[in-house]
Amino acid sequence: MAKLLGGLGTSHVPSIGAALDKGLRNSPEWKPFFDGYVPGQNWVREHKPDIAVVIFNDHGNSFFLDKVPTFAVGCAEEYRPVDEGWGPRAIPPFKGAVEFSWHFIDKLVENRFDPMICQEIEVDHGIQVPMELFWGRPAEWPVKVVPIFVNVIQYPVPLPSRCYEMGRVLREAIESYDGEERFVILGTGGLSHQLQGARAGFVNPQADKAFLNDIAADPAKLAAMSREEYVETFGSEGAELMMWLVMRGAMDREVVVRHKHYFVPASMTGAGMIVMENKVSAPKTAAA
Amino acid sequence: MTGERDDRIPETLLFDRKRALRGYRINKMAMGLVNPLNREAFKKDEEAYLDRFGLSAEEKAAVMSRNWREMVRLGGNVFFILKISAIDPVRLTEIGAHQAGMDHDEFLRKRLGKT
Repeated sequence: MAKLLGGLGTSHVPSIGAALDKGLRNSPEWKPFFDGYVPGQNWVREHKPDIAVVIFNDHGNSFFLDKVPTFAVGCAEEYRPVDEGWGPRAIPPFKGAVEFSWHFIDKLVENRFDPMICQEIEVDHGIQVPMELFWGRPAEWPVKVVPIFVNVIQYPVPLPSRCYEMGRVLREAIESYDGEERFVILGTGGLSHQLQGARAGFVNPQADKAFLNDIAADPAKLAAMSREEYVETFGSEGAELMMWLVMRGAMDREVVVRHKHYFVPASMTGAGMIVMENKVSAPKTAAA
Repeated sequence: MTGERDDRIPETLLFDRKRALRGYRINKMAMGLVNPLNREAFKKDEEAYLDRFGLSAEEKAAVMSRNWREMVRLGGNVFFILKISAIDPVRLTEIGAHQAGMDHDEFLRKRLGKT
């Protein structure tokens, strides 16, 4: 029977990938940021997931404004890194969990979510960076992926509550999947940042830290917030944090936080990480 | 027309319907830069490249002077116009500082808490 091992949350700031490309992992500026991810990497190494469902947004790389899907799900055999303008990054392509992707798409439509279905699509730093943060730089990714693209760029963007509801469908899809695969779900984006307007450079470490608590303890509160509240609290681009709710919505009400990390600023962003397990399935050891 | 007056959240320009419409050409031009041939064309003759996308004189002036605040005011979205920085390198924090009306060091200190 398919099993959900845990829910991970992380930022996907492109400068993180650029720092790795430039060999700055251990530079004074970046070391404290990357060191905070070591427990998350160890957790992934110990738990050996087979499939990673990754919720992220495209940043004007795979989609232009001519066609903007509110939700899109990949069901491709392979996802190659896209050229964002600097040339494609030298990281291995991601292998798709094709069977599960289609199963998930079926469940979405049965539950009145109607996503765009993508059999062929390249992927940007929105998924690359989270994968590198948890799996490092392997010659080949040891895990297959299911990309879920959420439009958080052109308004109207979806409601946070809708993201949370999608998570419940994702959970149902995993529970009803006829396979032995072990899953993790990555909610990505954020935390607070703003790239546009005179408020550019806005970060809100206090709200970020509260978010990292609430995503575990009180996700319903985060799901009930309006899009405008996300923008006010986390910045115009930080509002993408609502994507973590897809991951959280697929988990139990009661979770155990295994690891947590916060660092500000990564480039212009409050950056954070969390590793959670469902309380019932979590071994009874002290939480980090 | 794109007006900051209509924005509810201070100093924050949501990429809403009016900006997506207003900025379509400028963003399409910038999106073109994911193609290496277009990057070469931009480097070789920037104005001719901009003309291919039907940019107005005002839009062209904003792009050619690397006036980020103005590009955003004209509906440019940072995720697209940032691609110009792949050709003519500038840090994201400089683009931020320009919009905030601060010099770079002041921006890093006041907004991002760097010492």
